[in-house]
Amino acid sequence: MAVFRRGYQRYDGPLTGPGTRFMAIPRFAWSKILSQRFVVILLVLSLFWPLLCAGFIYVSNHADLLPNIGGMDASMAKLLEINGKFFAVFMNVQSTFAILLAAIAGPGLVAPDLANNALPLYFARPMSRWTYIGARMMVLFGILSLVTLVPGLFVFGMQASLASTSWLQANWWLGQGLVLGFVLYIAMVSLVALTCSAYVKWRVVAGALVLAFFFVLAGAAQMINQILRVEWGSLLNPGFAIYTVWCALLGVEPVEDAPGAWDCFAVILVMLGGLLAVLLRKLRPVEVVS
Amino acid sequence: MNPVIAVENLRVRLGKHEILKGISCRLGEAGVGKAIGLLGPNGAGKSTLIQTLLGFHQPSVGSAHILGLDCHRQSMQVKTRIGYMPENDSLIADMTAVAFLRLMGEISGLPAAAALEKAHETLFHVGLGEARYRAVGTYSLGMKQMAKLAQAILHGPELVILDEPTNGLDPAARQRMLALNKEMKEQHGMNVLLCSHLLRDVEEVCDEVVILKDGMIVHQSDLAAERQTNKRFVQLQVTGDDRNLGTVLQEIGAEGVSETAGTWRIILPVEVEVNALWRLTARENLQITKLAYRRDTLEEIFLKAVGHRKPKAEAEVAHGRI
Repeated sequence: MAVFRRGYQRYDGPLTGPGTRFMAIPRFAWSKILSQRFVVILLVLSLFWPLLCAGFIYVSNHADLLPNIGGMDASMAKLLEINGKFFAVFMNVQSTFAILLAAIAGPGLVAPDLANNALPLYFARPMSRWTYIGARMMVLFGILSLVTLVPGLFVFGMQASLASTSWLQANWWLGQGLVLGFVLYIAMVSLVALTCSAYVKWRVVAGALVLAFFFVLAGAAQMINQILRVEWGSLLNPGFAIYTVWCALLGVEPVEDAPGAWDCFAVILVMLGGLLAVLLRKLRPVEVVS
Repeated sequence: MNPVIAVENLRVRLGKHEILKGISCRLGEAGVGKAIGLLGPNGAGKSTLIQTLLGFHQPSVGSAHILGLDCHRQSMQVKTRIGYMPENDSLIADMTAVAFLRLMGEISGLPAAAALEKAHETLFHVGLGEARYRAVGTYSLGMKQMAKLAQAILHGPELVILDEPTNGLDPAARQRMLALNKEMKEQHGMNVLLCSHLLRDVEEVCDEVVILKDGMIVHQSDLAAERQTNKRFVQLQVTGDDRNLGTVLQEIGAEGVSETAGTWRIILPVEVEVNALWRLTARENLQITKLAYRRDTLEEIFLKAVGHRKPKAEAEVAHGRI
C-alpha cells in the first residue's frame, strides 16, 4: 500500500545494535562531503604522488631493465632502494593533502549542528557525546584515509608483491609504522578540524583556522628556538612532532639536536587530550549559564 | 500501577543555583496512553525537569525514572523509548525533511530501510507529505514545528516529550498540532508529556497536570477528576479593604486568590451557596462591584497554585490608597 494511504503506525520492528547506530552519521556526511567539487579535485590530485611512487617502486624492482638504457651503478641502486626514508617522504607529501582535505571537509561537520541547535536532537537519542565525537571523527577518518592510509597501503602492498618474500619478512614493520603513523596523524588532524568547527561558525574561517593551527604553531616554534636559542621549541610544531614520530616508526635517522620521538609522541598525546577536552566542553545538549 | 515518570526527591543544581528543589511525583501509567501537562511560570524549572528526564543533567540528590529505568544511569535504554520535541528551532537546515528524519530514525535504532519508510509515513501523517523533499531550512515556522513533532514520533516511542509544541502556530495549525497530540495518546497508546504555557492547550490534551513553581511542585492533579468535582469558580471584584478576605473565605470552605487589588478568583465548594459570599463581604465592609462565574478550571488551578497575589504595598498603590 502506498505510504500516504497507510497512515502512521508505531514502529515495533527490530532495532539495530547500539554499536552500529552511530554509523548513520558518517554515511550521511560522506555523501555530502563527496558531493563537493573541491573535495573531489583534491582527492584526484592526491593520487598523483602515490602513482609516481608506484612507478618508482616498479622501476626499483625491475632494475634488470635499466642496464639496457644506460646501466645502473651502486649509487643508482642505493637511490632506488625502497626503505623507511622512501615511506617517510611519501607520508610527508600525502599529509599535506590530508590537511587541505580536513580544512575543506572538517568545518561542515560540527558547526551546522551547533548553528541549527541540533545537538539536543542527537543527545535525546541513544547517543552520548563520546559517540557523537566518534561518529564525526569517523567521517574525517574515512575521507583522510583515502589520501593517506589507502594509497600508503597500496604502495606498500605493491612493493611487497613485487619484491621478494625476504623483503617483506625484513621490512614488515615499515607497513606497521605507516599504519600507526597515519592513524596518529589522522587523529590529530581530525580533532583539530572538529574543534575549529565547533568554535567557529563560518566555514571559511574555520578552514583557515585548521591550516593556521599547523602553520602558526610551526612559526611560533621556530621563533622560540631562534630567540631562546633552544631546540625544544620544535615540540610546539605539530608537523615536526608527527614527522619525528614517523621517522622513529620507519627507522629513519631523526633530525639532529632536536627533541626525540618519545618527547614528540608525548606532546602529541597532550595535544590530542587538550583538543578533546576543548571539544567536549563545547558539545553539550544544553548550555548551562552559571 | 507502573508510572511512566517517577521522580523521587529530585534536586538538580546548575552551577551555584539549585533549580529543582526536591520534587517527587508519579505521573502517567505505563501501557496506557495518557497526556501529562507540565505547567509553571518562567523559571519554575520545567525545562530543567525535562532535560533531567532526558539525561542532560545529573541529579544532585534523588532520582528520576522513566518506565522504570533510571534516567541518569540507564539513559541509553531510556532514550530508545522516548521521543523529544524541543522548544527551539532544532533542525538541520540544509537537509531535506526525508533525509533528516531518516538520519534521526537510524540514530534511534531503526534499520536504514525501515527508517526511510517511517520517514515518509510520518511526514505524511503530520501533513508535510508534499514538502518532504524540501530542505527543512526553507520551511515556515508551522512546518518546522510539524517536522520537529515528526522526528519525535518517527521511531514509535512510548513517551513523547513535547516542549511548547504550539509555539508560533496560527489557530488552524495549533488545532492540527493538538489533534495530533490527542491522537498520539488515544490511537497509538503513547504517553505524552506536554510542557506549555498555554493553559488551554494543556486543558484540551492532558489528563493529568503538574504545576511547578520555584523548583517545587505546587500542584498535581488529575484533570479529568477535577472536571468532575463540579466546583464553582467565581470571579469577584470588591471595593474596600480586602486584606482579610482570603482568610475569611476559609470560614465557608472556599479558597481565594487575589489577582490584583480588589479582584479575586474564588473556588466555592459545591454545598456553599453564592449568598454566603454576599454575607461575608458585607461583614468585612466590602462592596461587591462584580461577581461572575468562570469555566476555565485549569486557569483557576494554575493561578491558585502559583499564588498570583501582588505584594500588598504594590496592590495598594495600584488601588490608589497610598
